[in-house]
Amino acid sequence: MFGYYLRLALKSFGRNPGITALMVIAIALGIAVCVMTLTVYHAMSGNPIWWKNDRLYAVTMDNWDPLRRLMPNLDLPPFEMTYKDTQFLLASNIPLRKVVMYSTLGVISGVGTEPPAQVATRVTTADFFAMFEVPFRYGNGWSAGADKPAQPVIVLSRAENDKLFGGANSVGRTLRWNDREFRVIGVLSDWFPRPRYYDLNGSGSFQPPDAAYIPYGWGTDLQLLNQEENDCWRPEKLDTYRDYEASDCVWQQMWVELPDAASRERFQSFMDGYWAEQRHAGRFPRPKDNRLTDVAQWLRDNRVVDNDNRVLVGLAFAFLALCLINTVGLLLAKFLNGAAVTGIRRALGASRRQIFAQLLIEVGLLSVLGALLGLALAALGLIAVHHLYAAAHLGERGGYQELTHFDVVGVVWAVILAVAATLAAGLYPAWRIGRLAPAVYLKSQ
Amino acid sequence: MLKMQDVSKIYRTELIETYALRRFSLEVTPGEFVAITGPSGSGKTTFLNVAGLLEEFDSGSYLLEGRDVRSLSDDERSRLRNERIGFIFQSFNLIPDLDVYDNVEVPLRYRRLSGADRRERIGSALELVGLASRARHMPSQLSGGQQQRVAIARAIAGDPAFLLADEPTGNLDSLMSRQVMDLLEQINEMGTTILLVTHDPELARRAQRNVHLVDGQISDFRAYEPHPSVGGATGAAGAARA
Amino acid sequence: MSLDIRPTLSALLRNRTGAVLVAAQVAIALAVLANAAYIVVQRIEKINRPTGIDEQNILVIESEGFTGRFHQTTSVQEDLAYLRGVSGVIAATATNSVPLSDGGDNDSLVTRPDEPRHGYINDIEIDEQGLDTLGVKLVAGRNFRHEEIQPPRTKTDISHFVPVIIVSRELGEYLFPHQNPLGKQVWDVLNHAATIVGVVDPVMGTFPHGDYPGRVFFLPRLPDEFIGVRYLVRTRPGQRDTVARLIEAQLVTSNPDRVINYVRPLTYFKNLSYLGDSSMEIFLLTVTALVIAVTALGVFALATFNVSTRTKQIGTRRAVGARRRDIVRYFLIENGLIMSGGVLTGCALALAAGYWLSVHYALPRLDLYYLVAGVLALWGIGQLAAWQPARRAAAVPPSVATRTV
Repeated sequence: MFGYYLRLALKSFGRNPGITALMVIAIALGIAVCVMTLTVYHAMSGNPIWWKNDRLYAVTMDNWDPLRRLMPNLDLPPFEMTYKDTQFLLASNIPLRKVVMYSTLGVISGVGTEPPAQVATRVTTADFFAMFEVPFRYGNGWSAGADKPAQPVIVLSRAENDKLFGGANSVGRTLRWNDREFRVIGVLSDWFPRPRYYDLNGSGSFQPPDAAYIPYGWGTDLQLLNQEENDCWRPEKLDTYRDYEASDCVWQQMWVELPDAASRERFQSFMDGYWAEQRHAGRFPRPKDNRLTDVAQWLRDNRVVDNDNRVLVGLAFAFLALCLINTVGLLLAKFLNGAAVTGIRRALGASRRQIFAQLLIEVGLLSVLGALLGLALAALGLIAVHHLYAAAHLGERGGYQELTHFDVVGVVWAVILAVAATLAAGLYPAWRIGRLAPAVYLKSQ
Repeated sequence: MLKMQDVSKIYRTELIETYALRRFSLEVTPGEFVAITGPSGSGKTTFLNVAGLLEEFDSGSYLLEGRDVRSLSDDERSRLRNERIGFIFQSFNLIPDLDVYDNVEVPLRYRRLSGADRRERIGSALELVGLASRARHMPSQLSGGQQQRVAIARAIAGDPAFLLADEPTGNLDSLMSRQVMDLLEQINEMGTTILLVTHDPELARRAQRNVHLVDGQISDFRAYEPHPSVGGATGAAGAARA
Repeated sequence: MSLDIRPTLSALLRNRTGAVLVAAQVAIALAVLANAAYIVVQRIEKINRPTGIDEQNILVIESEGFTGRFHQTTSVQEDLAYLRGVSGVIAATATNSVPLSDGGDNDSLVTRPDEPRHGYINDIEIDEQGLDTLGVKLVAGRNFRHEEIQPPRTKTDISHFVPVIIVSRELGEYLFPHQNPLGKQVWDVLNHAATIVGVVDPVMGTFPHGDYPGRVFFLPRLPDEFIGVRYLVRTRPGQRDTVARLIEAQLVTSNPDRVINYVRPLTYFKNLSYLGDSSMEIFLLTVTALVIAVTALGVFALATFNVSTRTKQIGTRRAVGARRRDIVRYFLIENGLIMSGGVLTGCALALAAGYWLSVHYALPRLDLYYLVAGVLALWGIGQLAAWQPARRAAAVPPSVATRTV
């Protein structure tokens, strides 16, 4: 029966090529727009390390100005911490892993004929690589002992290694970072979490990861500054780097890995205890707000998905609804036009259910065609968007073009969406036609 | 009032030429009740279409109330159909989504009449056909005979010079047929010319004059005495009111 | 010319499925059209806000010293001397941040010492050629003098402030409402004072997406040594790109202790800042166009369907005296009623959507002007879509009425 209905459906399409084409296109457009918008949205709101969401926490303490928040539009403490506070908390043994870090800029030179070039460099403690499960292609990161005193070792991103050493295994080779000799001990594999959840500062949450990583101690040794975001509020002496490290300026990012609720509670108390002590000494004028924020919440706090995206998703669904209503109308018209034939079938003994099934198969075929075309259009659209951003010379920024990356999960969901939506649209017309008494069709107008 | 002279209408396909009407001539005087009869395919419908200005013809002449029909524009023909001709169709041709009142009103809407004027005409037309109480019913709620009477009301509401009836009783049973025919006679008595197209000789006998069509040509003329029931206030007219 | 509205409406209400479907599409289309048009115009206006800056003719060069031998002040002096001598260059300056780039510095200023802090205010370091390089106009007071330009801050000297500043008119109005800011003093975070010696207007700072992009002040100071220095170079119209190539070729090799990260036009940074807005615009416009197309298609399809299923009725109407244009009018009126229903519902939907957007996403409330324009546009498009089917209806010959099949 299914094959028979399929043949009937194809014949029906052949008889009305115009209206069939219109329906397929309308569905396809609706699906394409939805898939494109959802792909971008999904890329923006996804949690790249979701499996560790119950263990990884961003650490923040509210050391800010009692009269005003750092970010007045968000009711949150600063996203970064002071040097003093991170150093204290770093000493705790409660977390399984702990990371304090910030991003600076440095110039790499002394590699063959490569001209010197400035690269974003992450100054971080050793646990970074294990905590964020950063994959290595060659070599590995450094151990905690290399943080202090700071060893002249450096880890390169894959892209940077491709550029400097042609992608070869560069472990053991040396280069100059800010005119100081460093030895390469590791090269990362392709690693590009979207969004860059561990560091949402700087321009855009979709920046590529840093090109190089050096041990944390270099910050103090070379008096390196956070090149992305520094904020100060207190009128205090800031003449020297030491002053800066002792100040209430926030410029350090801290993450901890707490494997269970118990360790989490202990670390929280530890923070609170430190806070009370410091408060007594005159710091932390605001009400207590020491937070351990998991990645999902961290993304929300940082407003990674901006309003524009939400509006666009809403618009896309409105458009899909429009396309589906359009399809329902066209289907009704088409089925009613073919009603005479349906009436004859009913007169010849087809039951309501059989008519319904026949029409639903027709709708199903339509929806599959529409879905396929829609996915093709969406892929084309995303490629076009990709080129649009590339044309704006944004290659080095990463930026939006990385969002136009079609993933398998997204495709599967899109197909399901398309077929389900169209079937839903076809239900009503098929049911309507199935219901009418045969005599109604057989009479002339 | 109606004078056709040697009217021919040809339907052409790639291979065949068919004469639906072949040098057909007819004269009808005001107030006459003429029946055009003939077997199916004889050209009756074509005659109807031509006479009613629904279609154009290929040769000959057609004067309607003295006006040469060939010289009329489409708009002028529409106007004539609206004001001078009333149609009654075999399948009633009521508009299913409009109620009885609105159906009768349709031709009146295409004229410049005030709302009050329209109301009055519709009212008296429905009275005449005996369906004033059903003014707000939908056609699907009426029997075949009632629907045809609504169609008649529609045809006469505009006070036309003549009625063109195309097998008006073709879809009705004998009782309803009689009612409709009685109504037509009544209208004829009131002065309206009637051209009735039918294949039923019984019906044709109720007309004053018969014209028999075969293959687009007149094959026979027959004139009848006025039907005995014409002029009688009881009987048929009374039956129509029941 | 009677309008036949009442009977057409009654007939429509009795057989409403098709009409309801089309009206629903029209309603959605109006909600989308009105709000999308509004958002797009807003964004365009935002991008076209006057910046006071000669955007088209400015180049940005970033230079980064990386060796121990590198000396910031000397390098800046040499570079500026070279840049200012290049043919086609009007002016050049060294600065800490790039206007319109969504990146830069803020400082906190107050109008009385020890007063509780105001919000952060965008600051830009320049020298005496800075205003000329940007192309902004002084509307009061004077430019910085060469001797007033402070040396760069160093790692041992971060807190140094400046003796004089130039403010934007907007900032002046904010700090000293209804007063002349010239000559007034302000204090920074560390309670150092500076006097306002000049006012410029209009000018936009480095954060076009900030709350107050026009509140900016200029500091007479060479950029400090912590980060690279940026040079802004203003060229004569049309010469920007040739000068860029020349400069890049020269500067890349002129000093081995530093690297030139880029030589880019200012428009690059502006376009990047507004990339989100322009993408949003493109997407909105595209989807709106699609929405209108699909809706018009739906209207056309329904009208065609109505015509094709009513040929007998059309023939009958013609038979009883309707002219061709009466038939066209009939279908346009019917379509007009459907459109009106859709547009009315659409107004409610558009207003609801606009309200929801304004509450949840801090977008401004929908301007009724856009709603009215949307209504007219959609209504017109809908009638246009039904025009061809209506014409086809009028071509149905009256003889259809007498056909029995």
